[in-house]
Amino acid sequence: MNPLNPNTVFSRLLPLLAVAVCLSSCTITEIDEFRQSATSIGEDESIVILGRRQSNNYETEESFVGCVANVVSSGQNAINVVDEREFLDAMFPFFEPRTAPMRTGHLEQLMAVDVAAEKMEEFGIEYIVWLDGITQRTDQSGSISCAVGPAGGGCFGFGTWQDDSTFEAEIWDLDTLTSVGSISTEANGQSYMPAVVVPIPLIARVEASACSGLGNQLKQFINGT
Amino acid sequence: MTKINRKISIRNLCQILARPALLLPVLLLTACSVATINISGTYPAPLVRKLPLTVGVYYDPAFTTHSYIEINDNTGDDQYIINSGPSQVALFDTMLPAVFEEVIHLEDMDSAGNYSNLDAVFVPAIEEFQVGLPQKTRLNVYEIWVKYNMRLAHANGDYIADWVMTAYGKSPEESFQSVDDGVNDAANVALRDLAASFSLSFSNIPEVKDWLRSENVLDD
Repeated sequence: MNPLNPNTVFSRLLPLLAVAVCLSSCTITEIDEFRQSATSIGEDESIVILGRRQSNNYETEESFVGCVANVVSSGQNAINVVDEREFLDAMFPFFEPRTAPMRTGHLEQLMAVDVAAEKMEEFGIEYIVWLDGITQRTDQSGSISCAVGPAGGGCFGFGTWQDDSTFEAEIWDLDTLTSVGSISTEANGQSYMPAVVVPIPLIARVEASACSGLGNQLKQFINGT
Repeated sequence: MTKINRKISIRNLCQILARPALLLPVLLLTACSVATINISGTYPAPLVRKLPLTVGVYYDPAFTTHSYIEINDNTGDDQYIINSGPSQVALFDTMLPAVFEEVIHLEDMDSAGNYSNLDAVFVPAIEEFQVGLPQKTRLNVYEIWVKYNMRLAHANGDYIADWVMTAYGKSPEESFQSVDDGVNDAANVALRDLAASFSLSFSNIPEVKDWLRSENVLDD
């Protein structure tokens, strides 16, 4: 029998590695933009990104809002973003789940309240971005069994699941008190976890992909580029 | 060489067996014990125009020490004790001075007569407190629902208004999150909900509105 040639072993493992890398990064992201009016923002102006939390079944995660805010406020053409928690506390009680404006008509009513309008002016906010959405796990299958004994432990099996992220950002202009457009994103990806003694997670970063895609598109949208 | 290896492996085996033996009483104790959750948080002052009124506030001991016991459905034993009294007081102590020009804390209802400048006495009370835990509701959220009774009276005890308010808060269940944190987050959302609702709707309660008009605080 011929000894195994390292090159042969590598060439045989290469397709497997390629499949593993592909599987771990197989996330499809789709972004749609709908513009109603022209937008622009100055260096001394800011935006605030807020999560919608009115629904009974879910609420937009604070961590996702923070992620999008990080993308918008960093890199080229970065925009000043007011921290969501700081804004909610300063504007309390006008942006709580029960009291937040749901339509631009409500925003108009809110801006007629002098204390609210003054505080908004203090922040220098030009646009309010409402984020609404959720990441859900679907199509979960497979099983992994783990056992521990005096001699050691190990796992065996295979698990797979799909994550779907659906988010929509609606942008409100505080000068005109109108909606200037919306951006929606849908991302989905399949994650795999084969386990031969040690589980090897090949995770599709679906929400991170949705965050990055939405954040970059939002930055372009508000800058008017 | 073999002897040494054997000794080590036996010692290791004893250690491996001893760990679950030590863990067992701990597990049994935690399974039988009641978890106490003390609600804590900070609350922002509402951004509203203050009403030019001096209001005395009286917190009943049942309110300041409010505690809710969640029962284990399977055993009928106490499962969680949720202490929200101090947080309720902290919320009202932040909210009321933002709504009224001056707030005076009263030791008891009778002491209201000691203050000649009091326009009214306000007494909050908790009527109902409910908790929704994910393991019971099968929903991925912790929920808190509270029903309050708010009472407003003249300094001499005469009735002005009496109304019910509800507060709701939910917090999504997260990986590696403890029940304490989930309940605490949901309770804080509920407390903010109450403060938001109270500060925006106080002047619109029909009986309160009539009284404010009679005090020339509201325009017709």
